[in-house]
Amino acid sequence: MTIRRENPAKFNFKNIARRSVLKGAVSGAALLAAPAIFSGRAQAAGKYMDLESLRGANIDWRQAEGAKITIGVIPAGYFKNLEAVLPDFAELTGIDARLEMTPPGQIRQKAVLDLSSGTGTWASHAADPMYYPLYVANNWVDPLDGYLGNGKLTDNSWFQYEDILAGWRGVTSVDGKPYGIPFDGEATIQVYRKDVYDKLGLKPAETFEQFMSNAEKAHDPDNRLWGSALRGFRGAGQNMYIYPSIFRAFGGEWFDSSGRMVVNGPEAVAALEWYVKLLNNYSPQGVENWNWPDIADAFGQGTVASYIDAHGSAAIIANPEKSKVVGKIGFARWPKGPSGKRVTSIWNWSFPINAALSDKDKAATWLFIQWAASKETQAATSYAFPGAYKRTGANRTSVWGLDEYKAVLSAAGDNYIAATTESFAEDTDVEWRPRLPQWPAVGDTMATAIQSSLVGQSSVTEALNEAQRKIDAVLKG
Amino acid sequence: MQLPPKVGIGRQRSGLFTGERGFALLMVSPGLLVLILTTTFPLAYLIWSSFQNINLAMPFLDGFAGLDNYRNMMSDGRYWHAQQLTAIYTISSVFLQIAIGLGLALLVMQIPAGQWLFRIMAILPIVLAPVVVGLFWRTLMLAPEFGIVDFIVRVLGFGSVNWLGSPTPALISVIIIHTWQWTPFAFLVLLASLASLPPDIYEAARIDKANAFQRFIHITLPLIRPAIIIVVIMRSMIALSAFAAIFAATGGGPGTASEILNLYAYKTSFVELNFGYGSALAVSLLIITLGVSGILFHLRTAKRN
Repeated sequence: MTIRRENPAKFNFKNIARRSVLKGAVSGAALLAAPAIFSGRAQAAGKYMDLESLRGANIDWRQAEGAKITIGVIPAGYFKNLEAVLPDFAELTGIDARLEMTPPGQIRQKAVLDLSSGTGTWASHAADPMYYPLYVANNWVDPLDGYLGNGKLTDNSWFQYEDILAGWRGVTSVDGKPYGIPFDGEATIQVYRKDVYDKLGLKPAETFEQFMSNAEKAHDPDNRLWGSALRGFRGAGQNMYIYPSIFRAFGGEWFDSSGRMVVNGPEAVAALEWYVKLLNNYSPQGVENWNWPDIADAFGQGTVASYIDAHGSAAIIANPEKSKVVGKIGFARWPKGPSGKRVTSIWNWSFPINAALSDKDKAATWLFIQWAASKETQAATSYAFPGAYKRTGANRTSVWGLDEYKAVLSAAGDNYIAATTESFAEDTDVEWRPRLPQWPAVGDTMATAIQSSLVGQSSVTEALNEAQRKIDAVLKG
Repeated sequence: MQLPPKVGIGRQRSGLFTGERGFALLMVSPGLLVLILTTTFPLAYLIWSSFQNINLAMPFLDGFAGLDNYRNMMSDGRYWHAQQLTAIYTISSVFLQIAIGLGLALLVMQIPAGQWLFRIMAILPIVLAPVVVGLFWRTLMLAPEFGIVDFIVRVLGFGSVNWLGSPTPALISVIIIHTWQWTPFAFLVLLASLASLPPDIYEAARIDKANAFQRFIHITLPLIRPAIIIVVIMRSMIALSAFAAIFAATGGGPGTASEILNLYAYKTSFVELNFGYGSALAVSLLIITLGVSGILFHLRTAKRN
């Protein structure tokens, strides 16, 4: 799925060079014509995207000209692509926006530190949707309905907030009010070795039992092929990212009728037992420390026959430079759980507005968010991106329908686009994970319980009972 | 001092910032201020917040908590589990450091020349940042299938062990990592102490036909006891508050199998965002560390008397 064209870094370099040449030109009388060249360029298409189409929005893009904002993001390909096209944003708005890369393990803590101290260091950041209830409980971020409804700031007939995938809008909203605008995200899907399944006469699993039996049949560790793998590493965003789908598919509910959070009910026990059985019997040793890159690497090396994880992991397994199984990959939606439901993740990185900013910086931040989430920028950072890596987590239904976008995705393997888009349309569940301000504590407690039972530190029931005790204490305060 | 003593006393009493003493106070005050700001103030703040409800996830409950945090601690199974792990981790790693360090020092003492080479080699693990040590052991040494330790264990026919992935081996691993990094410290201190022992006592012992074991038990050990106790004190204090290497190697996992008290306090404060309870946990660790080192210091002076 990679078409090598120009290196994005090269574009950046050229751009910087051009800017510094222009600075020099101010002092040089011989280069009086330079500004004319500059503005001439600016009025035509941008370097990466169609600025004319952006200017078609009925708002004043230059209303916060001169503002300087910093946005915290993670060093992932999709944000690097966004960083590469940032010069067009500067050209459009006159706002100096800078992306600060922080590893995913630290970005939540850093954001919380910044928000709780009110320093306003990050005007916005790539936010974990599970953190919105916490942010809102502390009034750390602005509700965005006021921005979306303000004709001076937003032209919604052009921006079309409703075009953003419904599940993602749901999970970035609290009590019906949006607090973040999704930029990039994913669905979890079933990934399997087509050649292995064909040889054994297997079909992608329709049910959880079938997924287990497929893993059993494909499991052949003597020939270095393990049946399946799921995230085993402890963390709210690792094992507590995959377990909730299983829990919900088993029919589990996070809250009982009285609103009490319950994590040790019969569905929870059955779900965790299924997970532990699958990983202990059919996964390579060490899976309890695996996160998605480890799973994708193992699959790419041909040692794992199936997994369920983010559709974006295809960037590794379908990359001929990293993977030995290119052309042998099949994709499918989650199997149906005992409750008859398929439950995919609704993970996405979204941008909120830090409530501690000045009004001008808030306007600048909103313009940045609107620009980043717009169709034009989504296109410019995905299928139309001139670099080798093209984003596959576009935020809009309309983009997922474009032939150009599909052409980039189809190279990943069999049934990739259908599996992903159907998951978005049918399998998302806003109650995928329990949404409450205490999520950081609840998520970590659950992650510990899941890993404890996976490695046999305690039994499934013991681990969940212990988690229930801890969660009761956490929610009581 | 040329002034008569009476005048000197008078000047000392006349004011805080007058006279020689006052001048000295003025000179150290910037340093003192920095010290207060960077150590005393955070410590006081920590103790203050341990009596408060400070939970970012539930800002509406913020306020004075009295002894609630400490009361909760008493009924918190995970706290006692962490407490137990801290004891196992500290006692076994300090014991191993002393035993191996002393053994190595005694061996190196037998080498007539070239001891400097061992001293330099011993410094290397000490100067590494603990995070680097944790990561290096996690990836290079202990990784299943690819790690060096796992390779050796498999070659010796014991089969692959999932070092950081199973509860007991994970705890053993973090103890080994700590021991690996800090044994050289014990080795260096004890080597220096051994080198300073007077040779005539040994000569006298030999004349009295004391064998090597008797010489070690009755001469060497009593003479280097102060050095051993100092090493025990310093290493215990550091082991009780160990963090970075464990954090990098296992993150306290799998499950809570290597979650010592310091990691639990960190997690409560910075992952769960419950700063009140996290502070109480940290204060309890502080009390334990102070208590343990107090007892050890007492032992040291008692022996001397």
